[in-house]
Amino acid sequence: MYLPDFDYYAPETLKEACSLLARLNGGASVLAGGTDLLSHMKNELISPKALVSLRRIKGLDTIAYVAEKGLVIGARATHNDLAGSQVLRERYPALPETARVMANNQIRNRGTIGGNIVSAVPSADLPPILIALGASVVIEGPNGTRTVLLEQFFVGPRRSIIAADEVLAGIVIPDQATTGSAYCKFGLRRSGALAVVGVAASVVADGASVTQARIVLGAVAPTPLRARQAETLLAGNAVTESLLEEAGRSAANECRPISDIRGSEEYRRDMVRVFTKRALRKALNIPIQHTGEGT
Amino acid sequence: MDDTQGGAGHGKQYAIQLVVNGDLHSVFVKANTLLVNVLRNQLNLTGTKKGCELGDCGSCTVLLDGKPVNSCMVLAVEADGHEITTVEGIAQNDQLDALQQAFIDHAAIQCGFCTPGMIISARALLSHTPHPTEKEAREAIAGNLCRCTGYVHIVDAILAAAETEKKEV
Amino acid sequence: MKEDYSVIGRSVPKIDARLKVTGQALYAGDLKMPNMLFGKILRSPHAHARILRIDTAEAERLPGVKAVITHKDVPAKKYGVSPARRDENIFCIDKVRHVGDKVAAVAAIDEETVYRALKLIKVDYEILPAVFDPVEAMAEGAPLIHEDFPRNINVEIHQSFGNVEEAFARAFHVRKDTFLGHRTYHCPLEPHVSLAFWEGDKVTLYATTQKAHYLQVDLARQFDLPMGKVRVVCPFIGGGFGGKAAAMGLDFAAVALSRITGRPVKMFYDRDEMFTHNRGRHRQIMELTTGVDRDGKILGVYANFIMDGGAYTGNGIATAYYAGSLLPLSYVFENFKYDMLRVYTNLPGSASQRGHGAVHPKYALESQLEMIARDLGMDSLEIRLRNRRKPDTVTVNELTVNSCKLETCIETARKRSGWDEKKGNLPRGRGIGVALGGFVSGAGYPIYRTNLPHSVALIRVNEDGSAATLYTGAVDIGQGSNTVLCQMAAEAMGFRYEDITVVSADTERSTHDFGAYSSRQTLMSGWAVKRAGGMVKERLLEAAGVMMNVKPEELDCRDAEVFVKNNPVVREPFGKIAREYFVKNGPLVGHGSYTPPKLGGDYKGGTVGTSPAYSFSAQIIEVQIDEETGEIGVEGVWDVHDSGTVINPALVHGQSHGGIYMGLGEAIWEEVKFDENGRILNPNLAEYRMPTALDVPMMDSLAVEGFEPAGPWGAKEVGEGASVPTEGAVANAILDATGVFMDSLPLTYEKIWRALKNKKRGENADPR
Repeated sequence: MYLPDFDYYAPETLKEACSLLARLNGGASVLAGGTDLLSHMKNELISPKALVSLRRIKGLDTIAYVAEKGLVIGARATHNDLAGSQVLRERYPALPETARVMANNQIRNRGTIGGNIVSAVPSADLPPILIALGASVVIEGPNGTRTVLLEQFFVGPRRSIIAADEVLAGIVIPDQATTGSAYCKFGLRRSGALAVVGVAASVVADGASVTQARIVLGAVAPTPLRARQAETLLAGNAVTESLLEEAGRSAANECRPISDIRGSEEYRRDMVRVFTKRALRKALNIPIQHTGEGT
Repeated sequence: MDDTQGGAGHGKQYAIQLVVNGDLHSVFVKANTLLVNVLRNQLNLTGTKKGCELGDCGSCTVLLDGKPVNSCMVLAVEADGHEITTVEGIAQNDQLDALQQAFIDHAAIQCGFCTPGMIISARALLSHTPHPTEKEAREAIAGNLCRCTGYVHIVDAILAAAETEKKEV
Repeated sequence: MKEDYSVIGRSVPKIDARLKVTGQALYAGDLKMPNMLFGKILRSPHAHARILRIDTAEAERLPGVKAVITHKDVPAKKYGVSPARRDENIFCIDKVRHVGDKVAAVAAIDEETVYRALKLIKVDYEILPAVFDPVEAMAEGAPLIHEDFPRNINVEIHQSFGNVEEAFARAFHVRKDTFLGHRTYHCPLEPHVSLAFWEGDKVTLYATTQKAHYLQVDLARQFDLPMGKVRVVCPFIGGGFGGKAAAMGLDFAAVALSRITGRPVKMFYDRDEMFTHNRGRHRQIMELTTGVDRDGKILGVYANFIMDGGAYTGNGIATAYYAGSLLPLSYVFENFKYDMLRVYTNLPGSASQRGHGAVHPKYALESQLEMIARDLGMDSLEIRLRNRRKPDTVTVNELTVNSCKLETCIETARKRSGWDEKKGNLPRGRGIGVALGGFVSGAGYPIYRTNLPHSVALIRVNEDGSAATLYTGAVDIGQGSNTVLCQMAAEAMGFRYEDITVVSADTERSTHDFGAYSSRQTLMSGWAVKRAGGMVKERLLEAAGVMMNVKPEELDCRDAEVFVKNNPVVREPFGKIAREYFVKNGPLVGHGSYTPPKLGGDYKGGTVGTSPAYSFSAQIIEVQIDEETGEIGVEGVWDVHDSGTVINPALVHGQSHGGIYMGLGEAIWEEVKFDENGRILNPNLAEYRMPTALDVPMMDSLAVEGFEPAGPWGAKEVGEGASVPTEGAVANAILDATGVFMDSLPLTYEKIWRALKNKKRGENADPR
């Protein structure tokens, strides 16, 4: 395949990276793992004149719990870094579980959490679970740092609020009361498949009742979508099968899927219903029955 | 970038160093040179294959600092200063690795095009999961497509190699 | 194995395994030659368009470009697999007929320059209306794709045996269903590569081809060269599956560019170009009518099919015949009618793919038979046992079957899968289905009319008898023919296979052979090898008789030792005798050849489907359906094969696994999809979804003990037969799991979901 040539920079600090991007004035792309960027370039969908690589910037791939702050994940942490992280497994096991169902092992050793977010692909797997966990992104620019709630980061397919001279530096997941969270990915084969539908759920449950729920849908709207009406239905109620079904139907109503080669709009909508229920059950630690319980 | 210029001879060249199968190599590459092409063309290590060049098939899998990656999706400049293991670096001189022997013994090779990538992925698996389950073996090679074998003998070979290595310890 | 063979029947390791496992094996894309150029083909972006002008000037001026060629620079002769359907040019002359059609080619000093040069070629097109469906293509006013083929009908077949109308009239139950088979693609892991170079007036082509001989013939014809000035060599090949089975634009362009530039030229396809070249399985509309008596015995079958042939024929003409001719193979019926229309469309051409033409029709027949069984309240295995092919019979369309162990296959599959315990007793959403297979062990007739033998082999023992070389034109595309033929040579000679080198698939340095297609090499190349080995042994024993002062008839040879049969302590090493032979007589060689007997009926198309022998199988598949999502989990696979004598069990099972793997992929996950402009939507391995290691289970493959009199040591095929029943078995398993009848492929999760939804709606609907 043909990869067009480009100027290549590997700055040693984020500050340097940002000033390079500013100088290149929109003609450069940021290179982390490259699994999305390079395939996009090979398919001739974009042709940046320059790539600014993050590989030399130290400390951009750490995963640590910082007291008073929360969980801090560097943008260059790879999906396998997430999958194998002890601290993540202890605090938010849904996150490594999500990383494990992405792409395949080879891609997971290169693809980064920063890349998965900044590429703003509607079917990306990490944004829904991160939003459900209340994550924010730390963005570095020539004029300093800003923190944005991830829920407010996405604008549309492959569009976000990040400016051409900014670099996504890290992700922060605040301490929050959550009794359980889960991400359910529905793909057309068991590896190497984009989500046809992705549903993340994070709940605060008190015994058999849900105090609070966050339900985030992926691949069924131009951006990750909070299913707020479904969330409202759950809040303050005892969990029953019919409540879960109601929440599922509500989420199915709220989403805005398209028909494409992976699935029709109708199918995606119904899968939102199904996987909202399954994600909630997982988050609530209720065993899933595997019979056909009606379509 | 000037598209009216010819190809590889034009454009900025970068001097990089790669440690490949234990040997230090200094090579000149362009920014758009892929790791897989440096290995195959400049270092003459043609064991690593190109099946799709988009990271979907795993034929180009190599170890980068011990981790399996699709070398078609890594710029050579990004690998500067790093260690790479290709299929040619798996055997010890003329002694085949237990995995290679197991692939032979269990008829896990038909056309052989996926074999180098499979061996690399399996090698990484056994190095950190010496007693894999069948599911773990399948997960390790889920990014390596094979059109010939249905993966049956390949999984047999990986599990058998794990047994052999267990005995050797 | 009843016979005590020395190496036949043993799962010896493949003779090329070590090279492959160390990365030393050189495939065409790995080859480098001094002063070599790289080349690629410029493809059409339009499905149907007139070429008004091609301007290559800017491309030619790009530094590093050595040649840019179009139709003006190559012979204008049309080519094609069948002399009856030569409809393709190396580069399109007046118009392009599908997205991806061949317009020009570039040779340059490196790959990057080639890609840049392709972008600089300017082509002016006049877009023409295009048609993408075979039924629409035959309609009044549809655009004409090839001037000589009115209504775009490429192949029209009408065959009739017995009287189906009469059979249907007296049948107890007649079922008519229309099934849709989809377009799939072989997707070998290795992309096509052709590397050509000239030495004086002789051209050599290293090609990813399954058929070195036919490619040689086509090149010689196209460039007006004598056969002796064309050499085709196959390096290691990364899978073919029927997709590397015909001369391609890449081959011709490599030959032309290397002549024009005076340098070796390596042409190659990227993965998306593999898809647009295609020549994979046809999309098929299959109207099938079957009539049975009250006991479920099939009285007649009427197959009325339409195939989407795409823009060029290739070997699709044979596919059109195969789609009907193998329907009466596994099941016996006396009345059969076959109507087929293979139609041109403005899509990439379809042609042969593993199971050649027989696969989608098998799915149709097996699904329909399953529904008939349900209609009659009969068990799935019972109806198949009732109708199964028996040994030493002739099909209604005059295909002669010798060995056939279908009954054993069915009963063994029944036991191994736990069918009796499972059928009807599985939990909700889980199901088990069965289908029978059968396939040719080599086509009875060559692709072009010739009296050449089908396979020739030569064995030469070296001077001191410590080693031998087997020369065979057979092509090892990964199935292991080199290994199997090596075993056969050793067995026939009485030598050790470890000491035999195989020189294969080189039209100059090995021998004549038609190559790897229709699963012919074990049987046909095998016969040639057996005879060659037999001749070596005969000559050796003559010499041994003199040396040991014994009559040759009293001697035998095995594992490189000659011994007196009824007093085996009296023995001499093979090498000693061979060396003596060499000194006295010159090289110790043996040769053999094979031509099948005259086969088949005397009707149009009667040659297609003929074979000296047929494999048979029973395949059972168990699935788990997630009834909420339609997701299909393949939980169990049992394949029981009658391949006659098994030469190398591990390789036979490997072929079985691989055939099932492809069958599963095609049944559930794979489909080549197009947009409304004839462009492939998924020309990549992310969206053309082949199953990963997590999607398919372990498979249980068994070969029953058998013996085929028409096969060397009783052997017959397995490579394609294993993929023939899979689509049908999966469809039947889904039927068992959910009660839904799936009449179109592929059996995607969404389709299952929709079928279940509709079924529930139907159940909830007012029964009145």
